[in-house]
Amino acid sequence: MGTVADSVSSGELGGCLWLYSNYHCNLSCRYCLTESGPRADRRLLGSERMMELAREAKALGFTSIGVGGGEPFMLKEMPELLAQLAGVLPVVVLTNGTLFRAKLLERLRPLAALPVTLQISLDAAGAEGNDRNREAGNFDVVTDVLPRLVEMGIKVRIATTGGKEGGDPALCELHRSLGIGEEDHIVRPVVRRGRAQERGMGVEGSVDTLPPELTITAEGAFWSPFSPTVLDGKVDTDMLVSRTIQPLDKPVEVMLSLVRGRPPGSDASLNIR
Amino acid sequence: MARISLIEESQAPLAVKPFYANGDPGPIISSFAQVPEMLATAAPFIGTVFGESAVAIRLKEIVVLRASARMKCNYCVKTHTAVALGAGLSRDEVVALRCEGGDEIFSDAREKALLAWTDLMAAGAEAVSDEATAAVKEHFSEPELVELTVLAGATIMLNRYCTAMNLPASDGTLAVLERENF
Repeated sequence: MGTVADSVSSGELGGCLWLYSNYHCNLSCRYCLTESGPRADRRLLGSERMMELAREAKALGFTSIGVGGGEPFMLKEMPELLAQLAGVLPVVVLTNGTLFRAKLLERLRPLAALPVTLQISLDAAGAEGNDRNREAGNFDVVTDVLPRLVEMGIKVRIATTGGKEGGDPALCELHRSLGIGEEDHIVRPVVRRGRAQERGMGVEGSVDTLPPELTITAEGAFWSPFSPTVLDGKVDTDMLVSRTIQPLDKPVEVMLSLVRGRPPGSDASLNIR
Repeated sequence: MARISLIEESQAPLAVKPFYANGDPGPIISSFAQVPEMLATAAPFIGTVFGESAVAIRLKEIVVLRASARMKCNYCVKTHTAVALGAGLSRDEVVALRCEGGDEIFSDAREKALLAWTDLMAAGAEAVSDEATAAVKEHFSEPELVELTVLAGATIMLNRYCTAMNLPASDGTLAVLERENF
């Protein structure tokens, strides 16, 4: 069997190893795939284990680390952990951007000099459209913090969930005005899992439509960051790769056998990151 | 009721979906599916040890049902009562294997030796004597003895698993037991 690097270079496998740092969040978005919220089961992966996994990922041939949750910044050690992770591989962290008050912003400052990107959720060009699925006041907080981060030199990307392909011109105008270019704005569909499934929102996600990007959580290794979702408090297992997460070459071996076992012509069709 | 969740087809992990291709794979497989990498290894092992091989299925069912009865595994006794009947063992033989009737129904020297060996295997952690081994080797080749002993060991492992998890017998098994008045 070839290496991760072979599969990444051939496009069989995404080069990013995703780590679910936790499952709890300060928000309870209506379409949340993981039923995250303040009282959600935390399912912590742990800083030490995340660092070990990052080192293993680099040795195996992964090219970057993605950190998601839950809201990663619910963990007080997250700024320093991101800096350490970035010493191993480039990092993107998915965040709602609502916890960045003055003290936390100061602790984020060193990330400006490191290969760390903050991917922040912003769904619409106005409070009404944005806050409908997220939380009252979310739009104002996010649009306040985005230019601060840009000014600090921190790399920022905006993720719009549920937006139209090609983007909303008003939203694009807004993010440009906040100092964020087109290349750092991604639009992705709501995937019908978790709360979105309960509400009948979004599009179906499966191994046929989700790009294969190995994703590690406290409960196991999964096909993509859209796989370890939660419904009725239980983590879905339909895209579980293995319960073993370390040593990382164990889930990697299963993942590679899965991606290489896909029928010819299989292609991930959902444009989601 | 099972003490753990049995994974339904819609939640079957990727590497073990083929085990669901022909419908409900039964409670052992659908509980093992919680750990797909373990099932992916265990299922072929179980299939090899319990399935058709160089050792006659009749001999295998003698081992499995007798060990299950000695280990008092409700799930395995029910399931392998149905399997043994399907393999051609008589009702009286099945009753004997379930430790509910006399072993004199078995007159074949090989089968009597195998019953004694199985009882010894299920008896616990006591050492197996040279005499007992010599007795069973009079009737079975070494490869046969290896297969049958691994089968007894695997059965005992599953007996403890199924009992601990309180796995329920399948509807198909219960229908056979009702029809055969067990």
